[in-house]
Amino acid sequence: MFRKILIANRGEIALRIIWACRELGIKTVAIYSTADRDSLHVRFADEDICIGPPRNADSYLKIGAVIAAAEITDADAIHPGYGFLAESAHFAEVCEACKIRFIGPSPNVIRLMGDKARARESAVAAGVPVLPGSRGPVQNDAEAQRVAGRIGYPVIAKASAGGGGRGMRIVNGADHLAAALSAARTEAQAAFGVPDVYLEKYLRNPRHIEFQVLGDSFGNVVHLGERECSIQRRHQKILEESPSTALHPKLRRRMADAAMKLARAVGYQNAGTIEFLLDEEGRFYFMEMNTRIQVEHPVTEMVTGIDLIKEQIKIAAGESLGFRQEDIVHTGHSIECRINAEDPETFVPSPGLITTFHLPGGPGVRVDTAAHPECRIPPHYDSMIAKLITRGNNRMEAISRMRRSLEVMVVEGIRTNVTLHRRIVNDPDFIRGNLDTGYLDRLLERKGEAAAAS
Amino acid sequence: MILDDEIKQLMEYLEHSNFVEFEIEREGVKLKLVRRPPGAVDPAPAPAAAVAAAPVAAAPAATPAPAAESPDLHLVRSPIVGTFYRAGAPDAKPFANPGDRVAKGQVLCIVEAMKLMNEIEADCDGEVLEVLVSNGQPVEYGEPLFKIRVSGARPAA
Repeated sequence: MFRKILIANRGEIALRIIWACRELGIKTVAIYSTADRDSLHVRFADEDICIGPPRNADSYLKIGAVIAAAEITDADAIHPGYGFLAESAHFAEVCEACKIRFIGPSPNVIRLMGDKARARESAVAAGVPVLPGSRGPVQNDAEAQRVAGRIGYPVIAKASAGGGGRGMRIVNGADHLAAALSAARTEAQAAFGVPDVYLEKYLRNPRHIEFQVLGDSFGNVVHLGERECSIQRRHQKILEESPSTALHPKLRRRMADAAMKLARAVGYQNAGTIEFLLDEEGRFYFMEMNTRIQVEHPVTEMVTGIDLIKEQIKIAAGESLGFRQEDIVHTGHSIECRINAEDPETFVPSPGLITTFHLPGGPGVRVDTAAHPECRIPPHYDSMIAKLITRGNNRMEAISRMRRSLEVMVVEGIRTNVTLHRRIVNDPDFIRGNLDTGYLDRLLERKGEAAAAS
Repeated sequence: MILDDEIKQLMEYLEHSNFVEFEIEREGVKLKLVRRPPGAVDPAPAPAAAVAAAPVAAAPAATPAPAAESPDLHLVRSPIVGTFYRAGAPDAKPFANPGDRVAKGQVLCIVEAMKLMNEIEADCDGEVLEVLVSNGQPVEYGEPLFKIRVSGARPAA
């Protein structure tokens, strides 16, 4: 086992990793930028090293500074948390070259899954369903008509080199295909300098369901069930839960099998998440794999009793998984609300000094946070200041615990999205489990209508 | 000697005056009273420029460090995390000793990070008063390395 772990992160996840290390008897090193000097992860780690000024590129993303901090403190492993360097294959390679264990999968697997096209190919090769589409860019209108006819409308034309929503056109019928393709090509050429466009089946407001997997260095792979992450705004998750109301045992089994097939096929080691889109007919499609611990990992911990951070550390230290698939028992239901320092209506970030900070507690309530009264939320980093997590024996108990927790969660001095979460957990659609990726936009629209009517 | 009662009187006087700062020296005793508005936090230490090109505002002291207590004193801070070396080789003479006059751009020490030897240069002309870290010691970003009495232009803030 490791003697000392350097935590290459900040905020609640840095603290979360410190707690796991303490339980395992491992010393910790915090690194921090000058903006985080008074942070709790600095206070509670055994050692701390200032690695640079606030700007990410000069501190938390500066590989040389992170490695130098590990060297002068004689740390034998680095936990990257999420974000920052967590999915940098290059960073994982530098760690390896410096004989420091990177707590995560191998650089090759990080690189493979980070490339969307190659990740999709790996899924196909492993027999995991992907969204039907053209094989590479479509060459002409005739081919596009054939492909669209085969996969069925609506389809989406996407720039091969694309991203950020540009060079994308949704096509509802054959009549509109040629015009849409031409528009997408023009946009792709203008935005990315490459006119290539490919076609994919378009899912209108699918569910976003992901599966947690763990793999050790002996080839053992298990899954820890799913997380329902459909409540999003602009692809940012806001509220997650486990289990999902959309899965029945047979579908869960099929999706979990697909996730484990892919993990095994790429020789996955450590904790990872396979994201799927699920349509109304119960068809699911591989979207991507995240090769790190995720923000929403606590909901899985709450229903399985497995400490994912400790498992990550043990796997990286070369230990085998201490349990088999049949040993994992799912009980109850868990929900996580991401509390962000932002305006609940405009979503504009709201950094600043927290004057009052009161956290809920009691049965079935867990809060992962590095915030406290009189702490300053710096403007340089992510706006998430806390994760409020509840567990109940069933979904309704988890919801009622979340409701009473949100009612007594007090954050003053900055604006937060606590009020938005209160709306969600009291919304009839949410209570019925009627969720998809369009859910939050619809909720916000209703608010707009209500405001306009009054 | 200044008696406790006299100090109390001075404090009261200061309280009802417009003075923010009051200093008196008598019979070998120096007394300095500073008034801060209620609720104000400790004033930031005197700004000291970092060696790196980073602006001073972005590179304050990383650890509670002795601030340069007089305007002609200047702290040279480490621009990187690493191991501090006073000389270019184990058997070589130190780059700078207390009492040495140094010129802006002159190498003062080495900070090793990831097997790279980074030469840290003086950012002003002056006299080395103190070496604040010992040879072979790990240093973090912003850690004070040398105290220098500045002659001529102060480093750009």
